[in-house]
Amino acid sequence: MAGSALRRLMAEYKQLTLNPPEGIIAGPINEENFFEWEALITGPEGTCFEGGIFPAKLVFPPDYPLSPPKMQFICEMFHPNIYADGRVCISILHAPGDDPMGYESSAERWSPVQSVEKILLSVVSMLAEPNDESGANVDAAKMWREDRDQFNKIAERLVRKTLGLPPP
Amino acid sequence: MPVTLVDRLPLPNLKVYTAGSVSLLSIAIYYALSATSDPNWRVNVTQGRQEGMAEPGDLEAQLVMTSPPVVAGNGTRNISDQFVDVMTFMMQEPLCVWTLINLAYCSLAVFGFGVQRLVFGQLRVAEAQRVKDKFWNYVFYKFIFVFGVINVQYMDEVLLWCSWFTLVGFLHLLGQLCKDRYEYLSSSPNTEGWVHVRLACLLGGILTAATALLGAAAAWGLPAGRDTFAFMAAECILVLVAVLHVVARYVLQLYECDVAGPVAYYTHLVFDSVSLVVELIHVLHMVVYSNMLVSMASLVLLMQLRHLLHELQARVRRHRLYTSLATHMSRNYPMASKEEVDKNQDNCAICWEPMKEARKLPCSHLFHNSCLCQWVQQDASCPTCRRGLAGAAPARPAPHAAPLPNHLFHFDGSRYVSWLPSFSVEVTRVRGELAPGPALDNTAQQLQHMFPQYSIATLTADLSRTASADLTLDNILEGRLVAAEPIPEPEPLPVQQQPTLLDVATSTIEPWTPPSSAYLLPTTSTAGTDTIERSNRGTGHSTVAPENLVEDDVSLGGFAPSAASRAAALARRKERLVAGARLRYLRRLPRAP
Ligand SMILES: [Zn+2]
Ligand SMILES: [Zn+2]
Repeated sequence: MAGSALRRLMAEYKQLTLNPPEGIIAGPINEENFFEWEALITGPEGTCFEGGIFPAKLVFPPDYPLSPPKMQFICEMFHPNIYADGRVCISILHAPGDDPMGYESSAERWSPVQSVEKILLSVVSMLAEPNDESGANVDAAKMWREDRDQFNKIAERLVRKTLGLPPP
Repeated sequence: MPVTLVDRLPLPNLKVYTAGSVSLLSIAIYYALSATSDPNWRVNVTQGRQEGMAEPGDLEAQLVMTSPPVVAGNGTRNISDQFVDVMTFMMQEPLCVWTLINLAYCSLAVFGFGVQRLVFGQLRVAEAQRVKDKFWNYVFYKFIFVFGVINVQYMDEVLLWCSWFTLVGFLHLLGQLCKDRYEYLSSSPNTEGWVHVRLACLLGGILTAATALLGAAAAWGLPAGRDTFAFMAAECILVLVAVLHVVARYVLQLYECDVAGPVAYYTHLVFDSVSLVVELIHVLHMVVYSNMLVSMASLVLLMQLRHLLHELQARVRRHRLYTSLATHMSRNYPMASKEEVDKNQDNCAICWEPMKEARKLPCSHLFHNSCLCQWVQQDASCPTCRRGLAGAAPARPAPHAAPLPNHLFHFDGSRYVSWLPSFSVEVTRVRGELAPGPALDNTAQQLQHMFPQYSIATLTADLSRTASADLTLDNILEGRLVAAEPIPEPEPLPVQQQPTLLDVATSTIEPWTPPSSAYLLPTTSTAGTDTIERSNRGTGHSTVAPENLVEDDVSLGGFAPSAASRAAALARRKERLVAGARLRYLRRLPRAP
């Protein structure tokens, strides 16, 4: 089982290296273990996360692509759909069996035709447009709705932090 | 907690242990030599014994009668005689016997260490943890077996069982290591052939040794009774089955068997069920034999029995699901015709590999048969268009079980074996804490990728102090961690230069040009660029100039064939992305509110 997962991951790595989507880099942290990747995601332009380079870790199950990988930002994040520990909550990463939020139709959930590239692109659009329904971070969701200026300020600080710059 | 106690037990390392054992042995030999140098040592020893034991007097006389030859031959004793004397003495003296036993264990440990070094090299953290867990698990159950089931009365018996279990346990652990390593190797894309050769040799060695032990069980166990033989044989068979399973997986891989195909499936099924059934019978046998249904030992055994039954049940259920799915698929969805497969240019959307044969769903999407089978077990819909497959998947299996915890036995010791305070049944490890070792080094390397301005040594030092990647990350980001050593790699915008760079950014009023037209900073006009150049010269590095960043990006096409160069290219790309984003951010700053 692990063999087919590995071949598929290798193919994805190759594709992501040869035709990388703009502002996104992903690959295994160490090829000794092909099931743990690191991805760098550029904050989408025109949003409060613009310019930041957000590192995230992807952990693939042995039966990938039958089950989705797990994704976790390894930098500090403040976003309605990202848990405090960095785990990302988007429907595409949910296995067809589980439905913690109870709102997703199965069409939005994981399927083996999805890929790392599609996940990362979904995360970029999630950064641009938080999904109000899933409250992975309730504080962030509330601030996003009610105090956008404050939210932007926090995002700005996070962007600077990911770039290794001191807070403004 | 006893759990963490076992983990933190200050076990001596192998070197200390070996040195201690050898010196103990030399002391014992010296003692034996000096004791046997006295020609009448046999008499002395027997006399010494009898003072303690109040033996009948005539026996003493008898013993003294047997010693004269030694007394007479003293002057001309040659070395072999002396050696025989020393050995005889050591076998009689309890302290020396223990020293010899200790030496045997020490040799086994050294041998195991040698094998590990030769075949496995450095153990990975997960492997080491698994071996440790398995070891304590094994020790616990054998303790139960020796004192709870067999209920040994004499020291010799205990010693015999202990040495037997040491040998079998040693093979068990090696087998476990082989299995873990095989799984790891099969999931790594590129491994040299000789790694496999060495592993295969070890597998052969374990098989031979286990077969030999099985022979020994027949030779020595059978005379002692059928029960003893069954107990001994079951252990050997379990080792054999586990190792043969690894061998079978190798063979399957060698013949490039379809990993989801029926051959592989039935191979795994056979091995899984044989091992479960043997273990089940073994435990059942112990329960019946121990004959004390209410003792603590049988409670432990019953718990294990329940767990094994549960596993077997789950395996059977999985198998029934598999067969019903296979028949369902072949009945409802025809294989695609040759023309359809040829016409279809796309790869299988599940595994991304070309299709020579495919199954066709009603929505006319094509997939490999095995790929589709596996998917339908999880979700009865077409992976591409999500159209439901009417009446498919008889019963959805439980969503993928969470990975099993590290400890191997599902028995809550603190609840049941309060009479065994020194035994921690559940060996867990504290998560989230970085202990020194490969994990910490790995984290340090990751951090160093992100913050090239810090040296590995600095990061490792801070990591071992904080024992947490997050805390160290905070230290770095809040500027508490000082980059003590010179910057090891070209770093376009070292953090230390931020004040100047911020000044640059604010003084540069040009709008940001898209990357395609390069980062061309006017080299003479603004004072700011000079600052960059000066600071570069100051640190003595031929820094990657911003222009190069972009040019290299273009030349970075291609997917390197070797893992090392792929990793290097990936690291370079990441570095560039961050550096570019930093620069762009600083250029954008004046316009920001
Ligand atoms: Zn396929
Ligand atoms: Zn379809």
